[in-house]
Amino acid sequence: MKLDDISLKGKCLRLSEVVEGVALPKTANAQYPGAPCAFRFVAGIIPLIKNSYGLLLGPAICLYNAKLTSNIRSLTSDPRPNNLLFLTYSQDDVIFGFHEKVREAILEVDHKYHPEVLFLVTTCLQEIVGEDFDASIEAIQTEVKARLLVIHTDNFTCEDATPGIENVFISLSELMEPQKVEKNSVNLLGLWTPMARNTELSRLLESAGIKIKNVIPSYCTPKDLTCAPGVSLNIALDRFALKLAEKMNEEFGTEYVYCERPYQPDSTEHWYQKMANALEIDLDTEIKELRRETEELMYQAKGRFSGKSCAISGNPGRTFDLACLLVHLGLEPRVIMLHQMFPGDLSDAKRLLAMGADPLIFRGDNSLQTEKLLSTLKPDICIGHMDSRVLAHLGIESCVLFSSNFKLGFEATNEVLRLLIKGPASFGALKYKEKLLANRVI
Amino acid sequence: MDLKLNSYPVPSDYFGVLWGLSGVEDLLILEHGSTGTCSYNVVNYMIMNKQSPKGKLFSSGMDEDDVVMGREEKIVEAVKELDQTYHPQIIALVATGVTSVIGLDLEGIIEEIQPQTKAKLLSFCHGGFAGDYTLGIKEVFRTLVDNVVKEPQAGSPFLVNIIGPTIDSFNNVSDLAELKRMLKLLGAEVNTVFTNHTDVEEIENMTSASLNLVTRDIGLEAANILKERFGIPYIYGLPFGVRGTVEWLKDVAEKLNLNLDRKALAFELERYGFSILELTTHLQSIDHLRAVISCPYDYALGLTKFMQKEWGIDPSLVVLPNIPDDPEFREEFSRLGLSDVLIEPDTATLEEVMARIDPQLIFGNSYDLHIAKKVPIKMHAAFPAFDYVYRFDGTPFVGFRGHAYLTQTFVNLLNQNPEVFRN
Repeated sequence: MKLDDISLKGKCLRLSEVVEGVALPKTANAQYPGAPCAFRFVAGIIPLIKNSYGLLLGPAICLYNAKLTSNIRSLTSDPRPNNLLFLTYSQDDVIFGFHEKVREAILEVDHKYHPEVLFLVTTCLQEIVGEDFDASIEAIQTEVKARLLVIHTDNFTCEDATPGIENVFISLSELMEPQKVEKNSVNLLGLWTPMARNTELSRLLESAGIKIKNVIPSYCTPKDLTCAPGVSLNIALDRFALKLAEKMNEEFGTEYVYCERPYQPDSTEHWYQKMANALEIDLDTEIKELRRETEELMYQAKGRFSGKSCAISGNPGRTFDLACLLVHLGLEPRVIMLHQMFPGDLSDAKRLLAMGADPLIFRGDNSLQTEKLLSTLKPDICIGHMDSRVLAHLGIESCVLFSSNFKLGFEATNEVLRLLIKGPASFGALKYKEKLLANRVI
Repeated sequence: MDLKLNSYPVPSDYFGVLWGLSGVEDLLILEHGSTGTCSYNVVNYMIMNKQSPKGKLFSSGMDEDDVVMGREEKIVEAVKELDQTYHPQIIALVATGVTSVIGLDLEGIIEEIQPQTKAKLLSFCHGGFAGDYTLGIKEVFRTLVDNVVKEPQAGSPFLVNIIGPTIDSFNNVSDLAELKRMLKLLGAEVNTVFTNHTDVEEIENMTSASLNLVTRDIGLEAANILKERFGIPYIYGLPFGVRGTVEWLKDVAEKLNLNLDRKALAFELERYGFSILELTTHLQSIDHLRAVISCPYDYALGLTKFMQKEWGIDPSLVVLPNIPDDPEFREEFSRLGLSDVLIEPDTATLEEVMARIDPQLIFGNSYDLHIAKKVPIKMHAAFPAFDYVYRFDGTPFVGFRGHAYLTQTFVNLLNQNPEVFRN
């Protein structure tokens, strides 16, 4: 399909024009792929809870894709345990009710797999049909050993996956019980990696005598979760996990700090300081040394990027702080793909504006419109998830920060710098091919 | 209850509709549902040879309010945008589960907006509730034959249509390349592959062909409609092995009044017709091997004949993912001496049967091969193949080159697992 006819008028705002908390203008009536739904994310989180199973209840449309997602993940460096079971919601179930089938399935899972916890995940379809799952699950609970937790993915209530993901975190609080608080101990909330205990953050806290009791949701058991309120502090690392921190504070009085993933050395230092202050520990020496290393890498990288421009798309944590880091390196952010500005973005966005950058803000959930915009703006490098072939065709360098997501603190910034310099393997070959095709010189 | 831990939920007719339509290049698909459904489809296209629905599939972005209010503005606006921006020949409106449940009348919407829309509008209303994906593909075939195929014009005596391969067909890139090459040996040409890398014009002109070649049982219904309505005969089946390929070429030649050049045939046989005996030694006996074939019907039947006639192995078991459309499928297997045909078994049954047979060789999809972890010789031969790419066009299963590729691959796998010669 030709992209030339896509009008971008009215679909882009300058950062200085964006209003916090308001969804950005829709870029098309016919959307592809559009915002992902929570069902997909929830199906990805459940395997992280040990000794649990997830019973996914929905039409084959959702279940087949969920299964494939888990299969594709099994082929990566971050595979997830195979603990998802699928019960298809058919037309007969819509008409005659799904409860009995669900009941039988729960009894079978309980009997056959003996999970400590069984998550029951619904899709928007059941929610539209309006069956009262929670009530029927309460009745079945008495018949099984597994603890049953219902997760409504709430796909239709929001334009993105946020409510469903928050519902998973909140459901975990149902496993928790009041505990005697252990001094100098923390839970890390919102870290999604098997290497969670091997991050710079974990190492630093442990070196200061802080015990990391749980990393939620990364491979903790239901028993770990029951005991989770026994810490002196929760450190919430993303906005989804913040809901759990708030809930635990409300129910168990567990103190928390909200420390969203930073990128700039200044921000990372403040990020560590915030935790250190809350825990009354001194990390100054370690922070100073780590910061020095990162700044040294930044200095080395600076010459490479001076005068170049970039597009930023789909990275976790403080997006505008990442943009500030890139400005420090000499890059000019021409566009940032975003769904909406969250309250936490405001101070970083102000800082970015103060640095003289006022990039376009664009909803990146429609590929064709995004590609049209990139072909118009022609940034030198795209940082984040984008179709490699499209970038190669447009002559835009690709930088995928995926591996930095598994790191935290200065080491995450160091990884960003490494990835910026290195670029994805074999991207050069793809660019070469696309250039030949574009010039028709073969 | 089969809760599909090590298997997969069977894709519904909704998927079949998407896959059947995706091979038509100047057709756009607009599904009426949440963007979450559309976005999730990136995944299932990805496992089919790393394809993408980008530029093909769109969502109306229905939300909770649209459901509650029964609003249809979003789909109307989206149709208008697609029509005016991309100028497709056809826009297919596809229901999702939600649309189907709330009973939104897509056909009514089409009636209302067709006069203002340049593209032809087609609707697919079942939303994934009609059955498995094969029903969706058949619905697409039927709809296109009914609504797009034109009355016969001046036809070409050597023009054929290939009916059956869609974007989900396992190994379609290589198999289609080989089928086209085979037809070229005869001097025949392909008008369209219905529906793979085709366009509306080719589909409109299907009646200019003198013969339809049906490669998949789900194409039989469309071939029968074309036969009844326009008198186009068809041949059903895939050419597996040297013998199967020669017979298929003879059938096609006869129907088209063509001759297979003996010289060309000799060249093919010299180059690709090597027998397994030519690649093994006398101490590498294989006729004792126990084999399981778990593929859709046409591949299962073709591979069974291939193994028997080319390798001298009688498969111990055939597993089919659904009941084939060929009413004679049981007789077909029975004629080959195979009474053990399992249809859509649950995982437990499959595991139990596999344990009983203890095969040394299996052809199947990614899930079958996972269940058959201990089987030494495993070959991907069916959809879904989430861990297997078949994008290169030089790995056919069909035709003379298919015979060569399968035989060579099999011998290499035997050599990597020599214990199979000993037990």
